[in-house]
Amino acid sequence: MTAAVHPDRNFKHWLLSPAIFLLLLIGLFPLFYSLIVSFMRIDMMETDTSFAWLYNYKNLFEDARLWWSLAHTALITAIALPIELLLGLAMAYLFLEKMPGRQIFISLLVLPTIISPIVAGATWRLLFDNKYGPINQIISWFAGERVNALWTINPALVYPAIIFCEIWQWTPFMFLILLAALSNVDKSQTEAAEIDGARFIRTFRYIVLPAIWPVMAIAILIRGLDLFRIFDIIWALTKGGPGTRTETISIYAYSQGFKQFETSYTAAIAFLVVFILTVICTWAIRRMGLAK
Amino acid sequence: MSARPLHRRYGVRLAFRYGIAALLVIVFCFPVYWLFIISFKTPDEIFSFPPVWYPASIQFANYAVLFKDGDAATVGNSLILASVSTFFAMIFGTIAAYSLVRFKTGGENLAVWIISQRMMPPVAIVFPVFLLYVWLGWVDSYGGLILLYTAFSLPYVIWMMRGYIEDIPIELEESALVDGCTRWEVLWKVVLPMARSGLFATAVFTFIFAWNDFIFALVLTRTEVTTYTVQVTHYFGGQSNFWAKIAAMSVLGTIPVFITVAIMQRFLVRGISMGAVKG
Amino acid sequence: MVTRRDLGKIGIGAGLASALQIRAAQAADAAATAVEAAKKYSGQTITIVWEAGLQSLDPLNFSGPKWKELTGIEVKVVEVPVAEMFTKILQDFKSGAGAYDALNVIPSWMPDLANAGALEVLDPYVDQFGFRDELQKIAPTYRDNQMMVNGKIYGFPDDGDVFVMYYRTDVLNDPAIQKAYKDKYGADMPVPPTSWKDFDQVGALITEVSGGKIYGAAFFREAGYGNFMFQERFRNEGGKFFDAETMKATINSEAGVKVFTDWLAENKFAPAGVEQWGFVENLAAFLQGQTAMTLSWPPYGRWAASYGTDQEAMNWVPKSTIAGKVGYAMTPGGHPQLAAGFCLSVSSTSKNKEAAYLFIQWLNSESVSLERVKLPYALRDPFRTSHFTDPGYAALWPEAKDYLKALQDGANNGLLDMSLLQTDKYEEVLRQSVSKLWGGEDPKAILDTAAAEWDAITEKIGTDKQKAVYTDWAAKSGAYPKM
Repeated sequence: MTAAVHPDRNFKHWLLSPAIFLLLLIGLFPLFYSLIVSFMRIDMMETDTSFAWLYNYKNLFEDARLWWSLAHTALITAIALPIELLLGLAMAYLFLEKMPGRQIFISLLVLPTIISPIVAGATWRLLFDNKYGPINQIISWFAGERVNALWTINPALVYPAIIFCEIWQWTPFMFLILLAALSNVDKSQTEAAEIDGARFIRTFRYIVLPAIWPVMAIAILIRGLDLFRIFDIIWALTKGGPGTRTETISIYAYSQGFKQFETSYTAAIAFLVVFILTVICTWAIRRMGLAK
Repeated sequence: MSARPLHRRYGVRLAFRYGIAALLVIVFCFPVYWLFIISFKTPDEIFSFPPVWYPASIQFANYAVLFKDGDAATVGNSLILASVSTFFAMIFGTIAAYSLVRFKTGGENLAVWIISQRMMPPVAIVFPVFLLYVWLGWVDSYGGLILLYTAFSLPYVIWMMRGYIEDIPIELEESALVDGCTRWEVLWKVVLPMARSGLFATAVFTFIFAWNDFIFALVLTRTEVTTYTVQVTHYFGGQSNFWAKIAAMSVLGTIPVFITVAIMQRFLVRGISMGAVKG
Repeated sequence: MVTRRDLGKIGIGAGLASALQIRAAQAADAAATAVEAAKKYSGQTITIVWEAGLQSLDPLNFSGPKWKELTGIEVKVVEVPVAEMFTKILQDFKSGAGAYDALNVIPSWMPDLANAGALEVLDPYVDQFGFRDELQKIAPTYRDNQMMVNGKIYGFPDDGDVFVMYYRTDVLNDPAIQKAYKDKYGADMPVPPTSWKDFDQVGALITEVSGGKIYGAAFFREAGYGNFMFQERFRNEGGKFFDAETMKATINSEAGVKVFTDWLAENKFAPAGVEQWGFVENLAAFLQGQTAMTLSWPPYGRWAASYGTDQEAMNWVPKSTIAGKVGYAMTPGGHPQLAAGFCLSVSSTSKNKEAAYLFIQWLNSESVSLERVKLPYALRDPFRTSHFTDPGYAALWPEAKDYLKALQDGANNGLLDMSLLQTDKYEEVLRQSVSKLWGGEDPKAILDTAAAEWDAITEKIGTDKQKAVYTDWAAKSGAYPKM
């Protein structure tokens, strides 16, 4: 055994201690604190710190708006994630081979991803404006008549609007990661694409996909988690409207906690979310073979 | 004989690829373009129907207002919060990652626990943190937000840096130790330089995460440390949406990120790929 | 050498001197008193929460700089969108951050904020700085309904907000349109319409006759405004918010459903996309001559007359093409909502309460408030009796006299915003309901859900507790139309 693997004990703990301290302070302690709060009945006006135990948790189950918000979250994730993945993959293949100016194209395509999500939402709200935005204008050109779609109000259009914005912003992220992953795959396998379609699919299925899967799985996991917490884009586009039709779990929790001041109830929602995520992540990590 | 058709096929394919690439660039960059030109439009141009696709002349009145009213200072706040928190997250995260990799501190369980912190949705974190900060009196303070961003970035930094550090040959460190370096010196003189590109790539993303944050800042700031993301939303609603201010403020907040990314570009793609591959 | 005893004397002397000064100043106007007393805070900064956007132009361009010039106190304006003002103020109070010194408070929230302890009781300051007399001169509706909670002063009414109906005199008096009306309905066209039935007939007819070149009417339809519009219209239709006995919500009554159904019908003759119109969209359309009638707050009237729109601060307002062609009237039904409005208050967590108080006294005083309501770019509207009768104001544009009369009539017949415990929760339900209406849901179903949600809120707060508050509120003169 070499010296490097036998340090003095203090040193290795010193190295970790600031990080662990911060994670405990910001991650674990508040969670513990709010667990206690979730057993009480604190709201805007009342500061009742006696224990009501499962009172708030019982209410969770009767709260239709909460379950709807979870359903909305799941819907957005289920539609946006596969599209981002497939589109990102297609784009990665497009730019896999060298071509002059490739780097410039890639840099330009990455722009949406580095913009703040709240700004992305704001930008799309400008684009979607029924009168002063260019989207209805462009659609009108194709339709040959004046189209007046209310993208942020019409129930049939709000989800397409949100998902479009989401895809616009995050497909480039998928693209970059998958491009990097594909670049690491043996060239002869990916270039076989030129030969014929059937062989391309076979190669992809049995050689390329297994090779890029570890990276792809992580990309899916990251994006999946991000989509589950989607807040900024919706805040800028619809604020959860019309009514509560696009209210996601994050929007709902925010409105309960910081608009309605249902302190204890929001703490309970936060716990429900943590619980759901833990279950999903554990399952996903196992299922995707990410656990080492 | 067969060379020419193949060659031509290559040419057609290339043209096809350029065509698609150009189309993609138009689709993905058009919204950014639209945002920028709105910020240069006059009110009449913004509220003209049908929409004007480029302003008659570039004018900066929309920006001038932001500077005059002091709204532009929020970009400065974002800059302070994002860069200071990135600095701390990089230091604490890197040394923690080094400890995890080289000394297997805490084993696999600790590493998994740290990564699992990244899975917490901000909305679940922000509420307890708000309660905590109220208690400590940290709401609307630079320190409070920096601490939060640092902690929130840590799992990511540790995760990424773990991969980079694993790539450094242990022999280098050993020979440095033999030469009489202390462990801190090994870390400083051998490990950090070797992991340089990884450090930069990770730092860029850490910076962008903090820069882009909205929900923490929305809840935890009032007047002193309002970030630009929160400021942008102030122009929504009220009597109306202030398109000009929304656009100008957004552009102001986007430019620093564009610059950072442009400078750091060569580390970036590599950073994403290696981090993900190693993750 | 100054001994300790001397110091004591000096202290007493200074105290006496300032007491005398203040006594003398009481005779003078409250603005001057405030300025004098505030000078000792010169060099400090106070923070005031103001509605984001247009409203903030007043403290940013006028009152803030002027106050600094007079007293040396810097004013920092925190702009917050109206939908988040209540939240932010309460959050700041709960967090104990004390980031805000002075506040703009919408009167209907005042009981909640006062009960939570977020607002400073102003009576001692009012007496100390001699403001009682001038407070009394605020127009009765605002003074009696928007100043006090449980008998204590928590805010100074500072904005005479009331909905006014604006109509294009040239369009409504157009013989062709009047003839078409008579042909269709067999009666003379009422100009201006005074009931919603007439209004809708006139509106639909104008759109029809002009072929959409000019729309009969447009409204605020965006949910945040819809809340106010619903409250007004619902009560003009005879609706009551609650059953006075059981405290059950009754917004799903026939009156409520009628309002929603009428709204949907009106959208058909309004410009496309009206569902998401707020203050500026509606304003732009009216000023550009695209709509013949609309309901809005007072500033529309000033800008339509081109008053002050040449100012740099106003360059976002489309140029008025209708100056001289605008008539002012009470909204159909005759009881316009005293929608929103603003009071000036002091935050209980402020670290500089006296300076904050002095600033709002100065803002609210007879002399300064008159200047402020006359600011061409301001959104503050006349709220003192002296504003309504000010000859200078009446001469600002040719029809300004009619305008002031419409405002005063509106104030006298106006309906207060509903104000209960946790009002914001009830209003949030209304905003959601309006949003759902534009989302295509059924009016009756929306209102049934809303009523159930109101009941749940009431139950949670405590039915008896809320009932007592509601009974008090409903007894106010402006709660329901006097039938």
